[in-house]
Amino acid sequence: MASAVDPVGNPIPTSAVLMASSKRIGARCRSENAAFLNCKKNDPNPEKCLVQGREVTHCVLNLLKGLHQRCSKEMDAYAGCMYYHTNEFDLCRKEQQEFEKACSWSE
Amino acid sequence: MTEAMIRKKPGMVSVKEMPVLQDGPPPGGFPPVRYARRIPNKGPSAVAIFLTAFGAFSWGMYQVGKGNKIRRALKEEKYAARAAILPMLQAEEDERFVKEWKKYLEEEARIMKDVPGWKVGESVYHSGRWVPPATGELRPDVW
Repeated sequence: MASAVDPVGNPIPTSAVLMASSKRIGARCRSENAAFLNCKKNDPNPEKCLVQGREVTHCVLNLLKGLHQRCSKEMDAYAGCMYYHTNEFDLCRKEQQEFEKACSWSE
Repeated sequence: MTEAMIRKKPGMVSVKEMPVLQDGPPPGGFPPVRYARRIPNKGPSAVAIFLTAFGAFSWGMYQVGKGNKIRRALKEEKYAARAAILPMLQAEEDERFVKEWKKYLEEEARIMKDVPGWKVGESVYHSGRWVPPATGELRPDVW
């Protein structure tokens, strides 16, 4: 698990990377997530919620790409620690602090 | 030597007049022995003991409550992270499913094209809701 993006620059949404940036995703993509979940609540058919699903995917991938552009080393360290400890937040506090400090919330 | 030669009294005729060698009390008797019970009645009172036990228990329960709060915060962090990435994962799975479902419908249409009155992809249930397909294996390439 070397980096959170592949050599071209597209982010790789593995579970470690997603859990590492889950706070940002929850904050930044909240409306897209809510829209998708509402659509799913009305009709669980996957074919009916493809539009909202694409919105969610775009939002998350753009967010990951932006995060990696701004602080790639800390993000890779945090995602690597998550990968090593299987997404256990309590075992990665140090990397989490550094990631929060490096990638400021406001952009 | 015999006892008579050791303990003899001058002018003794027979052994029966030998002075008696006995183990007895010292002169004046033994000192008195206390045999009355004397259990002391000092130490913490019942109220003090009860309050100490109650205090220890409450302090322990307070520590338990603090630990529970910390653990609940950790669990909520984990649940919030899962809830945040759930739509992304579900959206990705939906895309993959729709692609596979289309392939499956084409296959079904090809197989059943000569059967009269067959609606391809028709739901086998009457409830009207969408139900995940139960056509054997979900992802044969994975299994």
